[in-house]
Amino acid sequence: VSAFATGTRLRLVELGRQPTTLALLVALPIVVVETYGVAMASFPQLPSLGVDPATAGRLSGALFATAFLSGVVGLFQVISAREGDDRLVLCGYPRWTLLATRLVTTVAVAGVAAAVSLGAVWWRLDVAAPVLAFGVLWLAGLLYGLLGVAVGTVLPRELEGSLVLVFVADLDNALSSGLFDATADLATWVPMYHPHALLEAAVVDGTLATGHLEAAAVVAAVLFAAVLAVTRLAGGDGA
Amino acid sequence: VSRVATAFRLGVREYRRTPVLVALLAVLPAYAVGVFGYVVPDDTVAFTVGGEAVQAGLPAVVSLLLTPMTAGLFAGIAGLFLMGSATDADARLVVAGYRPHEVVLARLGLLAAVSVLVSLVATGVAALTAVPEHPAWFLLATVLTALVYAAVGVLLALLVSRLAGVYVVMFGSLVDGFLLQNPLATDAPAVAALGPSHHPVALAMEAAFGSSVSLAPLAWSLVVLAVVAAAAVAAFYRATGA
Repeated sequence: VSAFATGTRLRLVELGRQPTTLALLVALPIVVVETYGVAMASFPQLPSLGVDPATAGRLSGALFATAFLSGVVGLFQVISAREGDDRLVLCGYPRWTLLATRLVTTVAVAGVAAAVSLGAVWWRLDVAAPVLAFGVLWLAGLLYGLLGVAVGTVLPRELEGSLVLVFVADLDNALSSGLFDATADLATWVPMYHPHALLEAAVVDGTLATGHLEAAAVVAAVLFAAVLAVTRLAGGDGA
Repeated sequence: VSRVATAFRLGVREYRRTPVLVALLAVLPAYAVGVFGYVVPDDTVAFTVGGEAVQAGLPAVVSLLLTPMTAGLFAGIAGLFLMGSATDADARLVVAGYRPHEVVLARLGLLAAVSVLVSLVATGVAALTAVPEHPAWFLLATVLTALVYAAVGVLLALLVSRLAGVYVVMFGSLVDGFLLQNPLATDAPAVAALGPSHHPVALAMEAAFGSSVSLAPLAWSLVVLAVVAAAAVAAFYRATGA
């Protein structure tokens, strides 16, 4: 427990010492939510959108501001700390404890980003179920945090990892936004598809879309299993 | 010239030595542009490009809109990382006797090569869904978008942390290239005209769907590229201590 607490504290302190990251956590979700809302407001009311375009834009922006920020932090935590972490493992620090500290840090970042994003949405829209909406945004951050850790463990450098994460997020963002009534089932497999439906239900109706929650929980479990698998493959033997 | 060529060649070799990166150069644009051509419903949509009313299939519109955006996104990330990782080494090259403009030319040449390559791949994949009315102009517009974002990436590499840079390039290119410049938007906000890809994407849409291509978006694209590239070069000179 002491190694875990020390590692987590170290990562959070490290994160707190980066003023750019802190500024990003606070400023960018607000900018993204507003920009998405303004940009989408210029679209016609498409039949595929369950709400008006500006609201759809703000909800998409809030989801992706939270999710992508958590994903990038997860990715950079793994890649930029790889050498240091390897040395810690050589010194006897359990690899799985290191992984747990990364995940806890990512969850913390996701929580802050979710709170700021929700605030930006709430500023413009009536949020029917704020606590539920916060939970959904946090879940979205957790999903991409896990994705970022998995990608960072598999790919060797920041450039490659960032490219993969950016392109996955990009496609996910566009497909799950509801802007296009995608005919293929493929659109329902992107990580943000279910959180998008959950957030819309929480903000507009104040309800919990349980079917989508179950599906999102499955996606989270698959991503968590993937993180465990790639960490083991990358050299973690539980030492 | 030979020293510029040497530095350029070494940059290309460094790129080539990372097979994952080379694979991503081929796969990611194909994935982004290709998947959309597959999932978007085959509806016909009406919109305006360059003042001309046109009709086209939604898969064609989305694929051809995503092509410059994808090229810009890839080139922006490449500019962010290639320049960021090279700054220290380039400063040493200057100390060792390289002239600053030789180092800058070699790096910009490498980014231009990446921009052209990713534009070719993205345009090639888009052509599986829809062939632009004026393919050469469309490719030119895609390359211009990539170059503008590559220069933006260089600027970001020199001004903010990588984490912040990735975030800004990702959301910047998506909001700018996909939402603000989308021809399906009926009443684009005034801020759309300030997006880095406003003019290159306007050129791309005219080349994709218009009966002719006007020179105004090309001229403005070159102006935007010149301004962003000059800012990037100035920041690079400053970073390398030249």
